[in-house]
Amino acid sequence: MLYEFSYLAPRSVADLVQALDEHKDDGKFLAGGTDLLPNIRNGLMRPRFVIDGKKVPGADALNGGATEGLSMGPAVSINDLLRSPFVREQYPVLCVCAHELASHQIRNRATVAGNVVNASPCSDMAPALLCLGATALLRSAGGERELAFKDFFTGVKKTALKPGEYLERIVIPAASKGARGSYKKLKRIAGHDLGIVGVLMVRLGDSLRFAVSSAAPTPVLVESVTAKDSPEEAVAKVLAAVSPISDVRGTKEYREHMIGVYVRRLLAEVK
Amino acid sequence: MRIKLTVNGLLYERDCSEHHTLLRFLREELGLTGTKEGCGMGECGACTVIFNGKAVNSCMMLAAEADGAVIHTIEGEASGPTLSAIQASFEKHHAVQCGFCTPGMVMSVKELLSNKPKPSTEEIKDAVEGNFCRCTGYVQIIEAVSELTGANEKGELEHV
Repeated sequence: MLYEFSYLAPRSVADLVQALDEHKDDGKFLAGGTDLLPNIRNGLMRPRFVIDGKKVPGADALNGGATEGLSMGPAVSINDLLRSPFVREQYPVLCVCAHELASHQIRNRATVAGNVVNASPCSDMAPALLCLGATALLRSAGGERELAFKDFFTGVKKTALKPGEYLERIVIPAASKGARGSYKKLKRIAGHDLGIVGVLMVRLGDSLRFAVSSAAPTPVLVESVTAKDSPEEAVAKVLAAVSPISDVRGTKEYREHMIGVYVRRLLAEVK
Repeated sequence: MRIKLTVNGLLYERDCSEHHTLLRFLREELGLTGTKEGCGMGECGACTVIFNGKAVNSCMMLAAEADGAVIHTIEGEASGPTLSAIQASFEKHHAVQCGFCTPGMVMSVKELLSNKPKPSTEEIKDAVEGNFCRCTGYVQIIEAVSELTGANEKGELEHV
């Protein structure tokens, strides 16, 4: 890269929050780098300091057990989820979405935390975290706070993270264990691509949840569909929650139509 | 900054620019130009290397992040004039045309075979999903891997 910056690799949480605090305006947190580094290369971001959060002890921890939920640090990669027998058995919805994200090489580097902090409307992990009721633990020099992911996304590539704050852990509640679901992602090619639109449906006991990507400024969670709704009622409720636009990848009408197709297919598929 | 890393079994200690990618470091500091830069943004996979056992796009990593890492590149495959088993199978099945994607393809296949010695056709396709071949030689690549691993599924794939 022609553009020059300095690389910092803090080795403790205290050093990390201090570096982020000192470089609130000119620093960027580096996790997998699969969004950040192309953005720097393309001149979309010009940080003077790139702060690697992966060297802090516990950053790559993926913890889950018999009674607690699942907790993951900012360095947990998409393939770490797919390789974890615990995640595959207890939280299959995470794997359903993880497998749709980019290509194998990217999944080896890209992190779950990075995918949601990047806050692209076409994020593939955000639908899973929204449907599973995940929460974010955010840390800064000022302390720690907790935020539900349904309050995390505030706009296109915008989150509730404040300058100097980072996503320290993603926590998925034990109550979401065993939730079943399927993710339909419309792409231009069979291989890796950004989604034109994506719909995740999750069933846990009697409750239904939908999350839609690439159909609004943020990934959207829809909790209003019930098991008693007809497919048409379900489609209407999901469409009422989104506001797709027309762009290079597809028109508003195409996106709305495909959301309807996917909602109907998912209702038939996820029993 | 000063970094230490193992590449193809050799330990290197070098200064690297903090804003340089691992790809640029491998090519320009170590002279290992077998690894290619295609798109520079994770679309094409020409820059694929094996980083601590995992296939990654070296254009989307900083050299600084590779401090302490163990890396394999295409230069580690052949020993003198003798091709590695993967390379020999690629050659036999005409899985190389212009050759630009080949170093990345071979690295992706190498990672696959280290985890799954007998992959299915679907698993092979998944492993090279992030490697673009613009000579459209995917079928030959899949056949090369299938035969190498003893799961030759000739006849199942359609040449187009």
